[in-house]
Amino acid sequence: MKKPAPKKSTSRTLFARLFGPSARGIAVEKSVLTGYAQAGGAPVCVIGTCDGTYVDNAAALRLAAHVIDCIEKHPKTPIVMLVDSAGQEPNRVAEMLGLASYFGHLLSCLELARRKGHKLITIATGQAVGGAFICYGMFGDRIYALDSASVGLMPVEAMSAVTKIPVPVLRKLSKTMPSLEFGAKPFALLGGVEEVWSAKDDVPARLARAIAAATTEDNRAALGKKRGGRRLALDIAKRVLAESAR
Amino acid sequence: MTRGPLFHEQTARQRIAALVDPGSFGELLPPPERITSPYLAQLGIPVSFDDGVVIGRAKLGGKKIYIAAQVGQFVGGAVGEIHGAKLTGLFKAAARDRAPCVLLIESGGVRLHEGSAGEIAIAETMRAIFECRAKKVATIAVIGSDIGAYGGMGILSTCCDFRVMSEHGRLGISGPIVIEKWMGKKAYDSSNRALVWKTSGGKTKYLLGDADALVHDDAGAIRDAVAKLLGRSSAVTLKSVKARQKELEKRLKRFGATTDPNDVWKGMGVRDVAAASLASGPEFAAMTRRGK
Amino acid sequence: MEKFAKAFPSKPLAARTAKPWALAGVVGSGNLEVLLERGGRPSGTMECHVETSIPGYKASWLAALADFAHNYPAGGTKVTINDQGAPPVLVNLRLRQAYDHLIKGDK
Repeated sequence: MKKPAPKKSTSRTLFARLFGPSARGIAVEKSVLTGYAQAGGAPVCVIGTCDGTYVDNAAALRLAAHVIDCIEKHPKTPIVMLVDSAGQEPNRVAEMLGLASYFGHLLSCLELARRKGHKLITIATGQAVGGAFICYGMFGDRIYALDSASVGLMPVEAMSAVTKIPVPVLRKLSKTMPSLEFGAKPFALLGGVEEVWSAKDDVPARLARAIAAATTEDNRAALGKKRGGRRLALDIAKRVLAESAR
Repeated sequence: MTRGPLFHEQTARQRIAALVDPGSFGELLPPPERITSPYLAQLGIPVSFDDGVVIGRAKLGGKKIYIAAQVGQFVGGAVGEIHGAKLTGLFKAAARDRAPCVLLIESGGVRLHEGSAGEIAIAETMRAIFECRAKKVATIAVIGSDIGAYGGMGILSTCCDFRVMSEHGRLGISGPIVIEKWMGKKAYDSSNRALVWKTSGGKTKYLLGDADALVHDDAGAIRDAVAKLLGRSSAVTLKSVKARQKELEKRLKRFGATTDPNDVWKGMGVRDVAAASLASGPEFAAMTRRGK
Repeated sequence: MEKFAKAFPSKPLAARTAKPWALAGVVGSGNLEVLLERGGRPSGTMECHVETSIPGYKASWLAALADFAHNYPAGGTKVTINDQGAPPVLVNLRLRQAYDHLIKGDK
């Protein structure tokens, strides 16, 4: 199968939009990015994916290695995670070697960074779907998305193919259940994204603000309830906590 | 030696009852609370009173634990908003009370019928698991069911301190049917059970170090393995992640170009692949270097 | 989905049971879950609520439930069923299992 030619210029334009001239510090290898840049006049560590690439065992290791590098050499430097990945490629060898464990390792590295005082900010820049979003992006302290990003479990058509529920039925239900809809805005209604940034926004300023404001408390269930897209999660978790304390 | 029913054939509630001290289980948000999925109801799919996961408090060897068991028969044990929120609450309670949390996994991952809500729920549960780990509260995933631990639940299981597997259990992200569709039957024949189990089954996971114990398909054996891990935890430290990075790099370097799982077995020190294939889980563990 | 409810005459349930509620079965293809609860209802009837994914079999459901209410002292209980196309023989089995669990406990 022929891979699509990497859209290098598009990715670079995006990095420049986010980090200005300091985007030079981001290295891209096989659509996996690692490096250091500046946000709000302060250094940040950058990891991520571009070109909608797949995250495989090697990619997860490269991202993890860079997080470890940041923890060791740049204590408490915020880590910005860019997500543009179609997920994990279904591959037998990857599974045989334990792809899940490679993802778990990347998550552990990010957790260590969080515990050591690195703020973790995610920006969904392109595709942010399935396992590729779960294996690092959704693990941020705060998660943001560009309005052009494709965020969510899967498009309605794919969901229909798997669940055998007709597309029109799913579309109709998604009007009242944003969870079934695909995109950055419905995902924000669920609390999965803190804020959606549009082309008009001063994205570097927003990023700097996001870094300053981030806390390590997972606020997604509360946001989902407040915004009405995910009404049950917060109260159910709270009930478990309350009833188990009795 | 007499043995009880096979663990993988038991229901979620039977598994919990067989695993914990008799009569010690107290269910949280039990079926009479009727917390059922509004998504499934809207889609005209039957709901279940526990939304496919049984959670609660219990004792194991006299020690307080939290425990959850997924119901594989109910939409494939998949995680929806309620199901996930129950798990998140449970791990948070475990962290608060510093009581170990045992998760009996039987799930294909995110419940597609609930879309992104299930995906976020899994991410939230992962955060709660790491809350436990930061407090040195043991989190133990048990993987020994028909469905195994796949998709987001496969990833989630790797966030726990320990994984106890039976030979019957499988751990992965993409399941065999999905891979066959993607790569073709020649690359992966999902009806080839030996290949499927050597790709994702307990033996291979144990051999590579992704499972911490490999036990009989039996609640008693699983209980013994879990009991040994309750007082332990594996803190995430710079030292531990650096060691893991090295190990995973080495694994990829050695076997990244390998397509035959038998070569992985041989490479990991299994001398007699045929005998190892026939061996029970504990026999297999004893035959390998890991089993000493 | 089809949903219906009806109460059936039944002799009062034993004054003491092992548990306040019992669950039998799981919601899966060709299977069902039966939740049986005691307390707070008229002692001469068994109150039933059914939700099934296979519409059109209300008459056989009502017959099966009426039978059970007649054969077992289940007055004062509430039966709630989530069904995914279980055959009648399984419906009967699950009702009896739930009843046994309620009276004697899970063992």
